[in-house]
Amino acid sequence: MYNNVVSGIFNHFTQNNISCLRFNFRGVGNSTGDHSNGMGELSDTKACINFLVNEQKCEKLLIFGYSYGAAIGCSAVNYSKTIIGYCAISFPWDFMGPEYKNLSQSEKPKLFIQGNRDTLARYENFENHYNFYLEPKKYRIIDGADHFYSGYEQEVAKEAYEFYISIIE
Amino acid sequence: MRGIEKVFINNNDIRLETELFLSSLENLPMATLVCHPHPQFCGI
Repeated sequence: MYNNVVSGIFNHFTQNNISCLRFNFRGVGNSTGDHSNGMGELSDTKACINFLVNEQKCEKLLIFGYSYGAAIGCSAVNYSKTIIGYCAISFPWDFMGPEYKNLSQSEKPKLFIQGNRDTLARYENFENHYNFYLEPKKYRIIDGADHFYSGYEQEVAKEAYEFYISIIE
Repeated sequence: MRGIEKVFINNNDIRLETELFLSSLENLPMATLVCHPHPQFCGI
């Protein structure tokens, strides 16, 4: 939850008075349980969505996920009609397998952010994976960024914020 | 504008650590952020 990319987006949103929830998956930080290789974490995402919809009376949701969080979070896109789109940052298609790629397929708006020096969410495979997704979709390449976006947090947060604004306008 | 609140969300027998910020504005979509928790990476 205190990862530099997540914090960059969270701080940017809160400073702009946008409601926001960030959370630690099971087994991370002060969340209980153990890492479960995906399905448990997808369940955690849905629990957070339920919390926002049922307890906070949220009517519309956008999901922002980074790396493993992109694969898991964006795979919940079709869980609820309240989810109106997602932003995936460095979606690790190559080591997560096809399941999460299929689960994250959607006709809702999507933004993919990718560093052109990323060797984990491999940049050379990005276009192939991106082409799998239905419209509406767009992408932004962060020039010079690897998987960890050190020094590029504000650029990522700005792109995420502009995507948010483009959805609500 | 309200502050950031620590909230624990229950998912069956799991308690999830979260931070929630609620806008003072109404009728805006809520952004949810999913962190990067894979154990092999640092910075989580």
